[in-house]
Amino acid sequence: MKKTICLPPLTMPEKMVRTLLFFFIIGWSLLHPHVSAASEGSVLDRIGIATAPYDNSAVDSVQPITEETVAAKERNQGGTFKILARKKNIERYPCSSCHNGKPVAARDGEALTHGSVSIDHGREGSSLSCIDCHHRDDKDFLEDKKGQKIDFDHSYLLCGQCHFRQKRDWLGGAHGKRVTYWAGARVVYNCTTCHNPHAPRFAKRFPATYSPPSE
Amino acid sequence: MSNRKKTDDAPGNDTTLPVQNSRRNFLKGLSIAAAACSASLATGCLPTTARAAESGEQFALQWQEYFKKHYRLMTQKEKDETVARLERQAKLQSGLDLQISTQAPRENVLYGYAFNITRCEGFMECVAACIKENNLDRKAKTQYIRVFEMEPGQLDPGTGDGKYFHEVPVDNKFYMAVQCFHCEKAPCIKACPTKATWREPDGIVVVDYDWCIGCRYCQAACPYFGRRFNWAKPSIPKEEINRKQHYLGNRIRPMGKMEKCTFCIQRTREGKLPACVEACPTGSRVFGNLLDPESEIRFVLKNKKVFRMKEDLGTDPKFWYFID
Amino acid sequence: MKSTTPRQGLMAFVQDVIIWNTTGGFGLQVYRGLLVLGMATGIFAYSFQARFGLSVTGMNDIVSWGFYISNFTFLVGVAAAAVMLILPAYIFHDPDFHRVVIIGEGVAVGALVMCLSFIMVDLGGPLQAWHLIPGIGQFNFPSSILAWDVLVLNGYLLLNGLVPLYILYNHYQGRKADEKKYRPFVFLSIFWAFSIHMVTAFLYQGLPARPFWNNPLMGPRFLASAFAAGPALITLALAIIHHITDYKIDQKIFKKLRLIIVVSAIINLIMLFSEIFKEFYFPTHHSVSATYLFFGLHGHTSLVPWIWTSISVNIVSTLVLAFNPGKDNPKVLLPASGFLFVAIWMEKGIGLIVPGLIPSPLGEVVDYLPTWVELCVTLGIFSLGLTVVTWLIRAALIIEDRYEKLLS
Repeated sequence: MKKTICLPPLTMPEKMVRTLLFFFIIGWSLLHPHVSAASEGSVLDRIGIATAPYDNSAVDSVQPITEETVAAKERNQGGTFKILARKKNIERYPCSSCHNGKPVAARDGEALTHGSVSIDHGREGSSLSCIDCHHRDDKDFLEDKKGQKIDFDHSYLLCGQCHFRQKRDWLGGAHGKRVTYWAGARVVYNCTTCHNPHAPRFAKRFPATYSPPSE
Repeated sequence: MSNRKKTDDAPGNDTTLPVQNSRRNFLKGLSIAAAACSASLATGCLPTTARAAESGEQFALQWQEYFKKHYRLMTQKEKDETVARLERQAKLQSGLDLQISTQAPRENVLYGYAFNITRCEGFMECVAACIKENNLDRKAKTQYIRVFEMEPGQLDPGTGDGKYFHEVPVDNKFYMAVQCFHCEKAPCIKACPTKATWREPDGIVVVDYDWCIGCRYCQAACPYFGRRFNWAKPSIPKEEINRKQHYLGNRIRPMGKMEKCTFCIQRTREGKLPACVEACPTGSRVFGNLLDPESEIRFVLKNKKVFRMKEDLGTDPKFWYFID
Repeated sequence: MKSTTPRQGLMAFVQDVIIWNTTGGFGLQVYRGLLVLGMATGIFAYSFQARFGLSVTGMNDIVSWGFYISNFTFLVGVAAAAVMLILPAYIFHDPDFHRVVIIGEGVAVGALVMCLSFIMVDLGGPLQAWHLIPGIGQFNFPSSILAWDVLVLNGYLLLNGLVPLYILYNHYQGRKADEKKYRPFVFLSIFWAFSIHMVTAFLYQGLPARPFWNNPLMGPRFLASAFAAGPALITLALAIIHHITDYKIDQKIFKKLRLIIVVSAIINLIMLFSEIFKEFYFPTHHSVSATYLFFGLHGHTSLVPWIWTSISVNIVSTLVLAFNPGKDNPKVLLPASGFLFVAIWMEKGIGLIVPGLIPSPLGEVVDYLPTWVELCVTLGIFSLGLTVVTWLIRAALIIEDRYEKLLS
């Protein structure tokens, strides 16, 4: 190939270098504040310095829960809290309206002997029986292993004997959940809102919907 | 069209907003053609005379909507005005009485989320609730949440099955849901050329649907598949539309705009839990204020072994997975 | 070719350009008719997109960028490649290149018009595009690389439009263009040409979400492939001009262009090999996209024949251009240039954009195929670009031809 390329005038490379440098500096100065902004504190840093409790009444739009609640007999990290009441959801409560020592007619036997209840609670082969949880004599109450009466509204006192890890998580908020609001006074679901005490595992079922990939 | 312009510029017209400044005025004058074009494209066809007469008010609304500002630059008055227009538009177009909120973020609140991969059993009640709450496009089957059925031994949803439909839970499998993680250092925010997506002071990453130009750069930038695009006009049965809406949240998105999970901003800013948390039958979802040391989410972070997805990318998500 | 006497005034200039570009022989009119038909097809197809949204395209939430952005990416390279004529012409004062630099600039302007059109048709809300205008809208600069891209593309369009316009307008009036006035802008445009392509590469390279793109070789490889594909296209354009007009192109230019193409194409292939080595020597989960592209994934293999065709054609045409088996026979070199151009288009368009998005960040695989709407809109934009190039080059050649005669 024949050389037709002339030597550039002396100032040209200088000019080019200068132009490039100019743009490099401009570009860098524009990027720099952004780069330094990116290295500011992470979310964990922000959490670490947030030690003051949030004012529970700060969110004015929180309405009282419509369901009946009771104050829990234990405290969590925020102090006292409420739980959903249980007793009014038990169909035939108070139990003593039947369990009162009076004779009953045999024809009502099936309904009255809780034939619908099948216990699937506890390890296979050593399933729990009724009196493991229910009070032997006063059927309006549950009974813990120390023989103390436990109100149906406070079943966590009973369940937590075995499921102490779940209870600890429930108190703190890692198990179960709050009712409707994250703000306002803390109201949480009780054990039996989600779990059937006679068969606490969730039954297998089909998903509520289908989740297709985009097509 | 020119008649319309006269009406809009006439003083004392109720539907006319006070002119903000000369730049705006100049823009209005310049872009009549563009506005007409926007109206015709938005209604899907060229306005015939009959239609134009019938929808004169609609046209004025569309026109004013077209030239409105970025949400973050609006004063509260301007926010109220645009909400009034949007509500009126919905009334005129489909007879719906919407309540669109512009509730600002609360002081001392930073939202955070935790997901219990031991508890989740894959019932997908969260997905169903999200679709309803957020007015997601039923025809395109838009879903903000994806649930993966995972084989033991792996934690990357990429190895799981995201299209399962059989009785759950399956023995020896676990379930993992993925949605927008509201990263503190979100790549999507950095990518957006028009600042149409940003992180609110309470940590929620939102989109101004009317400011988005639909370039989808944020979608390419998101490492979590957290964003969805309105490829067509969203279609939702009228009776299923959630009327309690937020400007940055579940209001029905226009065609060609980006949308995403907003932690149900219309609920959370009112103190409520997001719809997915409320719907979860297993209590796998924990939501709360990260700045409150007494909150449930802080309990999880303090007492559980947590991890975040793709932490190596440095996105700093506010969404943690944990194991009982 | 038509030649009129020099006239004064901008109006006369505009009038003459319009007249030159609406009159001409039968062949030229047929060609123009075809371009108009192409554009009409594009507008017709786009009307569907305007009505029904981007749902009429083959894109979805996983493959959120498709044929449009693929073509955009490739054409940025074609636009940038004009620098390969500008650099020798203005910096090294190469007299051969000086004569054809205007054609290179015309091709660059056409490519840029196509780039910007592809961006516009890809937008979900093209009517909101004014939100990008600094001052009126909100311009996320310097954070968003897309904002940078908007800036550099429009700047490059201005530079490549205004400098030739200034020179041509002077030549049109029979004057010599004042080199002092336009020289700074020429230097700027050289820098700018590199920047448009680097910035476009950074658009992809800056996304850690997409390991296939998040690769420091992206920018340099973009440049190498652009400096192969662009001059290949310019070679073809010059050959056509040489054959159908009186504006004769010196054989030396073709030889120099061949050299540029060969060097760039070889560098491009070396970088490609380097990338393939990185992906497959020890495959990580970052190599999944490359696996999808080259071998298919979970039974999805739509891009496998595409990429292997591209690579084979690329290698063969590079070898042909390098070893020159026909001894400078244009019947060998021109098709080789054409094939190289197509091969790089295949690889740097769809072969780069689509696999970057597959699988999704959550590991889901879908195949992408452009729909007829995308194909027709693309055809329309290509017709538009060709129209722009034809207009610019026809006017330029008539003016330059006349100016040369005036000088001699």
